[in-house]
Amino acid sequence: MPDPDVDVVVVGAGPAGAAAATVLARAGHSVILLERGPFAGSKNMYGGVVYPRILDQLHPQWWEDAPVQRWITRRSTMVLTDDQALTVDFRSERWGRPPFNGATAYRPDWDHWLAAKAQADGATLVCSTTATGLLREGGQVVGVTTDRPDGDLRAHVVIACDGVNSFLAKEAGMYGEVDAANYTVGVKETIALPKDVIDARFGVRGREGQDIEILGGTGGVNGGAFVYTNLDTLAVGCVLKLPKLSAQALRPEEIIDGLKRHPAIRPLVEDGEVKEYSAHVIPEAGLSMMPQMTGDGMLVAGDAAAMCLAAGIWLEGVNFAMASGMYAGEAAVEALAAGDASAAGLAGYERRLRDTFVLRDHRKLRRAPELVLSDRVQHLYPEMIANTVERMFRVDNPAPKPGLRRIFSDERRRAGVTLRDLARDALDGLRSFG
Amino acid sequence: MKLTVCWKWVTVDGGEPDDRWAGVSPADEAALETALTVAAADDEVVVVSAGPPGAVAALRRALAAGATRAVRIDTDGAASRDVATAVAAIAAGSDYVLCGDYSLDRGTGSVPAFLAADLGAAQALGLVSVDVTRRPVRVVRRLDGGRREVLDVPAPAVLSVEGSVARLRRASLAASLASNSAPVDVVGGPPRSEQVAVVTAYRPRARSLPAPAGGTLTRVRDILDIGGEPVHSESVTLDPPAAARRIVDQLRDWGHLPA
Ligand SMILES: Cc1cc2nc3c(=O)[nH]c(=O)nc-3n(C[C@H](O)[C@H](O)[C@H](O)COP(=O)(O)OP(=O)(O)OC[C@H]3O[C@@H](n4cnc5c(N)ncnc54)[C@H](O)[C@@H]3O)c2cc1C
Repeated sequence: MPDPDVDVVVVGAGPAGAAAATVLARAGHSVILLERGPFAGSKNMYGGVVYPRILDQLHPQWWEDAPVQRWITRRSTMVLTDDQALTVDFRSERWGRPPFNGATAYRPDWDHWLAAKAQADGATLVCSTTATGLLREGGQVVGVTTDRPDGDLRAHVVIACDGVNSFLAKEAGMYGEVDAANYTVGVKETIALPKDVIDARFGVRGREGQDIEILGGTGGVNGGAFVYTNLDTLAVGCVLKLPKLSAQALRPEEIIDGLKRHPAIRPLVEDGEVKEYSAHVIPEAGLSMMPQMTGDGMLVAGDAAAMCLAAGIWLEGVNFAMASGMYAGEAAVEALAAGDASAAGLAGYERRLRDTFVLRDHRKLRRAPELVLSDRVQHLYPEMIANTVERMFRVDNPAPKPGLRRIFSDERRRAGVTLRDLARDALDGLRSFG
Repeated sequence: MKLTVCWKWVTVDGGEPDDRWAGVSPADEAALETALTVAAADDEVVVVSAGPPGAVAALRRALAAGATRAVRIDTDGAASRDVATAVAAIAAGSDYVLCGDYSLDRGTGSVPAFLAADLGAAQALGLVSVDVTRRPVRVVRRLDGGRREVLDVPAPAVLSVEGSVARLRRASLAASLASNSAPVDVVGGPPRSEQVAVVTAYRPRARSLPAPAGGTLTRVRDILDIGGEPVHSESVTLDPPAAARRIVDQLRDWGHLPA
């Protein structure tokens, strides 16, 4: 085997790739981080909230220089019908101080910052360069081809962190049949408003921020919606199930428009100026769609391995990407030390995933994506719940108030939900979130 | 042969200068590509940028694409007159100096003109094509009204090309990697200009005119130029001093120059 150009090539400078490159560079290995965009994060979008706890291990005190917009101190879950809204609102001052919990951040800032850290540790970042395929010898992956002249790059290990729809993992034959039902499309508007207006509308101060996750409000398409606060912009968007989206006439931007016109959302977003519209595909089905993640000379991490967790109606992808990237890096370090870059030599990767929150959370929540995006949860329950609450709070003397149980059972029947389905969903919910 | 390429590195204004949102214009890139195409194997292609340390990233990209030397003139916000003098010191002896016809911040385009004066070189700007196979090079200039001018420009000359002239070649992977640590010469530059140029939209000065004579119809005709012989343009043949006087008079008449 000819001497490789570098020990490891990491493809994709998103959160997964930057974490992998950092671990390898720190262990003294030569590592090239390839990114197709002009800088790390330039091509990346997401809803807007990161949960960086995993960085305690990689970059202790990360909050001191992380490019954070606002710290999430208010987390709300909202259920919307056409003209009703039920919100459960939680707020904690503790999340506004170290070690923090979640934060809003822009990806061109966040990914750039993480990649710069990898560079500071000795990784070489090469931007405006796309990996176009795998170099193979026998069954072993020995590098990648790129779109630059003389662009072949040979390495002992290739770590594919190239995001959802990973061409490298597909080329390596690691994915089975691709099913559109496993994917959602996320669309988002970034809306500018003065900071003091956002502070007043969302009841936050300084660097505090709110995160609103929404069930309903997606124009009848199965999915979820969100409103997140940045310093002087809002992120307003939806996550939409692909087959359902294509089976109806509304376009994603029209669905966001409908959301923005909802009586509960309009006062939050009105008079803002839309600065950006963006969209991205999300691997939403979790465990059931994950590819093979280890091959001879190759590992797959982050969204490329469908690590994004649909943890409810919100997504946790960046933390899973950073963690899986970090573990891929560690496994590659082990393999290089042992001089064995075969799948057997790289087995430490999946062991780490299994032993940590990465696959544990995915296993625990394996029913969650299907449940949350199911027709009942999406189309029947919001009405049922909102109507129940409306009747509970309605004061229409002199008729005596019926009891909650009575109202609920009325509304359940009116929504056409059978007790059996309700019990089954409740059990699924309990198994996932309980 | 020596070729010099001038790049203006521009950051978005406001806040800290940030490499992510900085760069050079497509026209500047086209200038480098033109130089690389003109250059024979042993020719020297020098890329020079007068700017802050951030400009080094762009200069390294130029080296990766094939420039033989990169020079940063250490300055930030200097007047274009002074920038040109500093660039001229590096460009001295060049057969051709290539500039972008516009920078990312759409400046005044005055550096190439000053540079040509300092170097005693010919100048051609607004170029939409450069035929590098001919000596002297044959260029096509964009004129107003969709017209074109074909010129043979003997060296030494300063040429400003539009972005459409050429697309900068992609650097090889090895060259990109090597350029990460490629040396960029730094020379001292002029200080920041005291004069802050305030760019505002052009507004011709108001002129007082006598009240219009004649009936409404005549006035509408007058305003719309209906009826008489239309005069769109005028061609005159004059010797250079008379031509210069004529242009100045006309500009004054139109209100572009103080009366
Ligand atoms: C609308 C939406 C909302 C979301 N909301 C959240 C949220 O609020 N919180 C959260 O934690 N997660 C959220 N996610 C999920 C999260 O964005 C992803 O899980 C996460 O970005 C995955 O990181 P990654 O590094 O694996 O991949 P990516 O972030 O996709 O990075 C992949 C990188 O690889 C590069 N690349 C791809 N192919 C190549 C190639 N061939 N050669 C070179 N480079 C290449 C890309 O340019 C990119 O930089 C959301 C996603 C979407 C779409």
